[in-house]
Amino acid sequence: MGIARGVIITALFGFVLLVLIPIYVPRPSFIPGFAPPPDMWPRTVSIIGMVLGLLLLGLSFSKKTQAIADPEDAGSIRGDTPLPTLLLRFGWSVLAFALFVAAVSLLGFLLASILLLVAMLVLTGYWRNRWVALIVAVALPLLLYLFFSSALNTRFPTGSLLRALGV
Amino acid sequence: MLNDLLIAFQAVATFENFLIMAAGIWGGVIIGAIPGMTGTMAVTLALPFTFYMQPIPSILLLVALYKGSTYGGSVSAILIKTPGTASAACTTLDGYPLARQGKAGKALNMALYSSCTGDFISNISLIFIAAPLALLALRIGPPEYFMLMVFALTTVAGVSGRSLLLGLVSACLGLLLATVGEDMYGSFRFDLTVDMQGGLAVAPVLIGLFAIPELLKIVVFRNTEAQKPMQLGDNKVTRAELRRSLKSMLKGSMIGVVMGAIPGIGPSAAAFSSYGEAQRSSKHRENFGKGEVEGIAASESANNGCCGSTMIPLLALGVPGDVITGVMLGAFMIHGMTPGPMLFENNLHEVYMLFIGMLFSSILLFGAGKATMRFFSHISRIPPGLMAPIVLILCLFGIFSISNSMYDVIVLLAMGVFGFFMFLFAIPAAPFLIAFILGPMLEENLRRALAISRGDPSILVSSPITWLFASLAVFVIVITIRQQLKKAKA
Repeated sequence: MGIARGVIITALFGFVLLVLIPIYVPRPSFIPGFAPPPDMWPRTVSIIGMVLGLLLLGLSFSKKTQAIADPEDAGSIRGDTPLPTLLLRFGWSVLAFALFVAAVSLLGFLLASILLLVAMLVLTGYWRNRWVALIVAVALPLLLYLFFSSALNTRFPTGSLLRALGV
Repeated sequence: MLNDLLIAFQAVATFENFLIMAAGIWGGVIIGAIPGMTGTMAVTLALPFTFYMQPIPSILLLVALYKGSTYGGSVSAILIKTPGTASAACTTLDGYPLARQGKAGKALNMALYSSCTGDFISNISLIFIAAPLALLALRIGPPEYFMLMVFALTTVAGVSGRSLLLGLVSACLGLLLATVGEDMYGSFRFDLTVDMQGGLAVAPVLIGLFAIPELLKIVVFRNTEAQKPMQLGDNKVTRAELRRSLKSMLKGSMIGVVMGAIPGIGPSAAAFSSYGEAQRSSKHRENFGKGEVEGIAASESANNGCCGSTMIPLLALGVPGDVITGVMLGAFMIHGMTPGPMLFENNLHEVYMLFIGMLFSSILLFGAGKATMRFFSHISRIPPGLMAPIVLILCLFGIFSISNSMYDVIVLLAMGVFGFFMFLFAIPAAPFLIAFILGPMLEENLRRALAISRGDPSILVSSPITWLFASLAVFVIVITIRQQLKKAKA
């Protein structure tokens, strides 16, 4: 776990330093006075991050120093559940988030929230209490929608599909 | 001065004023306790209503909302591991583990006692040391600010989690993410989309990092993690616990007072610094992060300790220390009062009325906290499988209502996924958050200092104050490494 973590952290900061900063942090052609350029700070932080990642990686190779780099075995968090099952559950959750974002423009914020809540209640296993779950899934977003739109004047997206249907 | 304070006392002690302050405190506690609803939002939303009120009651309402929401943030931090406000993020470290042990009531009571103590001390400090402390804070220049924040970050990285290295990695990730958007000279950085030119707001990052990973943990590990519904359970804070925590509470209050008085530092950094100091000096430091009441006392006394002292630079110098005092500055000006040295010349009676009102509001905070605690304790009885999706929906609506933008909602969800990965890799979230909040100020002060010195980095260690903070940062690193080496050997 320690080695993988060290590699990922080094790679992440390395990617920012070598790929993202040259593309997305352009240096202005003229910098007044002695003001440091805009890429100075992200570069500094990325370099420090890379060094820390390499340090974690190096410390993970020796059993004596591993305890400093990896004091709590993050692998133990997983328990006995097979990794594919965990990945599948995680994948479903991320898919639900992505579908929610996509559905807002189509179905509107309220309906998309109700569907996301139903999906999450299924994924957490609470859907066993179907009636309570269903009432919560419909009533909570509806109440929040009414509160925010009337009391705070928030204008939630209504959704193109519902607009086309004249709802 | 005493005579002026007595006259102000008579003017403030009316039923109408008490009602306004009580409403502000109670409303603030409720708003602060709802994830996604921040104290800033509460104060901002109340501002239009103050147009129709007398000057002092209107400021007292805003102050009460601020205080209430600062305490309210701890309610959800303890019960559902979702800090309602950024300053309560530190309270989750010990509050939530205590709630999981069936001692949510004890955690909430300790948070309340500490908040009221911090708040009261803060108000006293506002009355007696406003001007001198504000003058001292004004002398702090960019290099001193930079080193102060480096020290704060190092402390946070050292005390969060069990590895200093992982804490520092977390801080670097937070600092990097804080660079997204427009910098101080108008250059855009990491603007992968047009929305990203505006940067990432604190609220979706904070809520996403703390609330969404909890939901994902329940979804992903549901068969492996015991899901006991939390009870209010053990309610009482024993005398021994109170005695044990008193030192941290008083120290935290003073840290809050000092850090609150320095513009821009604010309650989040104060809470984390106080927590770090309490852990360092405690006899029970091994219990920190596992449900130690002293940890709650330290963070809550510090964050509420800022409430009064953030008014010091506002009143004495006209400089708002954070967004909330910025809104208050607007409220003062609406009523024809200009905060700054002249305020003490032209509106001395009003200033004293405000001081007295703030002292009253500390007492009201205690009453409102006790009453609201019972109400919010019902949250702990809801099973996590139901509560976590409910929190998600509350966050989505709350975040959308702040900016009316789906971009912040996407940031919220993306940060949730990112926070879950951080959890998997045992990278603590607290240094990330504090680095994200302090990041822009840290960079701004570094760049200003370098511009002043014409690129010479020795300016960062050019004054006694910078040396002091640099030495403290090195001291924290050495102590933390020594402790970790000791543990590794054991």
